Amino acid sequence: MYNGKIIREEKHNDSQMHRVLDLALKAGRISLRNGAEIFRVEETIEYICRHYGIEEMDAFVLSNGIFLTAYSEGKEVYARVKHVPAGGTHLGIVAEVNDLSREIAAGHVTLDEAYKRLKEIEKMPAKSAVSQIFAAGIGSAVFCYLMRGNVYDALFTTIIAGLLQAGLVFISQYKVSKIITNILGGIFITLCAILASSIPLPFEVNLSNIIIGCIMPLIPGVLFVNAIRDVASSDFISGLVKLLDALLVFVYIAVGVGCVLGAYADLFGGVMI
Amino acid sequence: MIIDFICAFIGTVAFSHLYNVPKKHYMYCGLVGALGYLCYCLADIRTSVTFATFLATMLVVLASRVLTIIRKCPITIFLISGIFPLVPGASVYNTAYYFVINDLEQATVWGINSLKVAFAIVLGIVFIVSIPRQMFTREYWKIWKVQRKKKKVVS
Repeated sequence: MYNGKIIREEKHNDSQMHRVLDLALKAGRISLRNGAEIFRVEETIEYICRHYGIEEMDAFVLSNGIFLTAYSEGKEVYARVKHVPAGGTHLGIVAEVNDLSREIAAGHVTLDEAYKRLKEIEKMPAKSAVSQIFAAGIGSAVFCYLMRGNVYDALFTTIIAGLLQAGLVFISQYKVSKIITNILGGIFITLCAILASSIPLPFEVNLSNIIIGCIMPLIPGVLFVNAIRDVASSDFISGLVKLLDALLVFVYIAVGVGCVLGAYADLFGGVMI
Repeated sequence: MIIDFICAFIGTVAFSHLYNVPKKHYMYCGLVGALGYLCYCLADIRTSVTFATFLATMLVVLASRVLTIIRKCPITIFLISGIFPLVPGASVYNTAYYFVINDLEQATVWGINSLKVAFAIVLGIVFIVSIPRQMFTREYWKIWKVQRKKKKVVS
């Protein structure tokens, strides 16, 4: 009887520890996937583990994976490796998970509540497709105008960037390689811009200004900034991987734009700009 | 200049929308971006593009760090949207363009230029990010003041 009770209690403790670590791992995975930096993910995992009474733990986070081991006196050693494939950027989710981990550290949230809230956070919807298209159009047009384009350039940029974002939203449902997405994006932009600039209109439309504006939705801003911040906090492996990724995306865009521009110059003789 | 400020504001808000930033932070994101761009424009008059970008990035990161404390949310939200107006999109485009039409001299000039600007952004972020976190809280300066007074009394 007595033995049985002890064993049951131990089992309960073990499962409790497993649940805590699963929670920590889940929180880390969600925030890493949606564009958090490495040290933030490590901090989140550590806060959660520390608050729910895990004595020794080590988390090693890479840009696409989490390695977690934990050890408490007289209990099993827990080890998990979690592969985190790259997802879209959703900074709202990052902020929510961050808030949750703070609240856990302050002791306001029980384990069950935390699970429930994490589930809700994970299901947080992205902004609607239509509003994304409008935002991309307006944002690109504004940047086109800032780069010394005129109002008509900005007008065309709105339309083209909106179309581009519609394509990006559509393509993000499928698993398409980044290479293809960005090269196709560059090609699409340039084709549209050439079309726009070759329509005979009473006002002047500048090809390069339109292209510069339309590139903006493709630029990997999150990746670039996170790469720098990872390097700054000495997470060199993830930082360099992300930096290379960001640079390659720039190259893909340039290849897409360059191909079409080159072909256009060859076919119609250098009448660009 | 005012039009530029407003444009940068709108652009930053639009791109923070694309990155799914919660609505309550839009104002501040836009403000950070617009301030950075304003600083860039002002510095650009007297200095090179690279140095102007460096200064603007420092301002953006500083503003984001202060806002992080005030608004209690991750710095990423303000930083990523704020940096956006400073990204050297035009230089990257020019590099590719001159490369394609075989004007390698111009391509090199623009390529090195965009690398320089990218590096200025890197340095700007690294400098400000490495300031210890405590220095951005109010308590730190209160304690600092008290300690300084004590020292004066002792001496």
